[in-house]
Amino acid sequence: MAFNYDKYLRLEKMPTLWCWGCGDGVILKAFVRAIEKMDIAQDDICVVSGIGCSGRFSSYVDFNTVHTTHGRTVAYATGIKLARPDKLVVCVAGDGDALAIGGNHTIHGCRRNIDLTMIIINNFIYGLTNSQTSPTTPKGMWTVSQKAGNIDPTFDTCDLAIAAGASFVARETMLEPKKLEKVLIKAMKHKGFSMMEVLSNCHINLGRKNKMVSAMENLEWIDSITVSKKKYDTMSEEEQLNLLPTGVLKEDTDADEYCDMYAEIQKVHQGQRAKITQADFAKKI
Amino acid sequence: MAASPMVNPGDQPVWVNTDNCKACDICVSVCPSGVLGMRYESTSTLGAMISIDHPEACIGCNECELSCPDFAIFVADRKELKAAGLSFAKLTDDAKERQAAVIANNYMSLSEQGAK
Repeated sequence: MAFNYDKYLRLEKMPTLWCWGCGDGVILKAFVRAIEKMDIAQDDICVVSGIGCSGRFSSYVDFNTVHTTHGRTVAYATGIKLARPDKLVVCVAGDGDALAIGGNHTIHGCRRNIDLTMIIINNFIYGLTNSQTSPTTPKGMWTVSQKAGNIDPTFDTCDLAIAAGASFVARETMLEPKKLEKVLIKAMKHKGFSMMEVLSNCHINLGRKNKMVSAMENLEWIDSITVSKKKYDTMSEEEQLNLLPTGVLKEDTDADEYCDMYAEIQKVHQGQRAKITQADFAKKI
Repeated sequence: MAASPMVNPGDQPVWVNTDNCKACDICVSVCPSGVLGMRYESTSTLGAMISIDHPEACIGCNECELSCPDFAIFVADRKELKAAGLSFAKLTDDAKERQAAVIANNYMSLSEQGAK
């Protein structure tokens, strides 16, 4: 008997609709293994996903799941978390879903520091709709919407989340599933907004015109643009150009969590405490 | 109900569920020991299917199972294998050479010739 995945999957939906070699499946597997290690009951987890290939994620796992509208994963998840703060709520979104259409929701989720875990599966392209430029598509790559070469600058997802106030930020790739599993556990155990960017491949829609036609070629490219944070910190600025650090980039356990703050508001309305004033906060602006 | 594909079909170190395999080559590329390879299979979408050529060389590193996106390949539990009187192999130079040859052969089994 190998690891029992059956327990956590909706077997009637298998095999997955993802293309051969798609990193989404590896991330799904790492997520399931992380949940097993954390020993949480399936009814105590809610997985919220948006639109895109990553949106299929919630269909395959046998937890409480919501397949929501495009980019609105954090909005739905915030509602779920505030109603049931005792449950683990995980958002799964793609780069286009979380950073373009839902960019606003994502940064405000980070700002509130609400106890959600957000997994952004970054494959550098809009894969489901056949290769349009996404906010993370590298400059100079061919896309359907910019056939002469992409000229749009890119978002650095992790820097964006750190600046917006997320208290746990990490970046991993689907090339190292063991490491991914460990960091996923850290992210889900963290109290506060955990942003987890996972670099993944789309050799079908990113690779087909960018000289990465097989899963392996695309994965080699991802390997070539990532370096561990430890090594990245020792590099000069010139060497850091065109590289992305992987690992835990920010972990702040002292920041105020939104559900706790919201519980104080509830106390005010129940007459259990006086109104909240500026004196309640050390950091006001 | 059919037996779960995660149950060892009989004291194997590594086994596959060919119903789920989409022939993406990832497991073949991550194996350090040249256990796996692809074989031609006309009924598969990509014209190939995973094949376990040298189960006796499996070192039980679990990389193939963790890297498979489609829940198609499984590695035995170390304790369970030991209870059956078997164990995983040690990584040898021969195995490393075989792995390099499989990758050079476009991830195809060494008995299969030509490009996919």
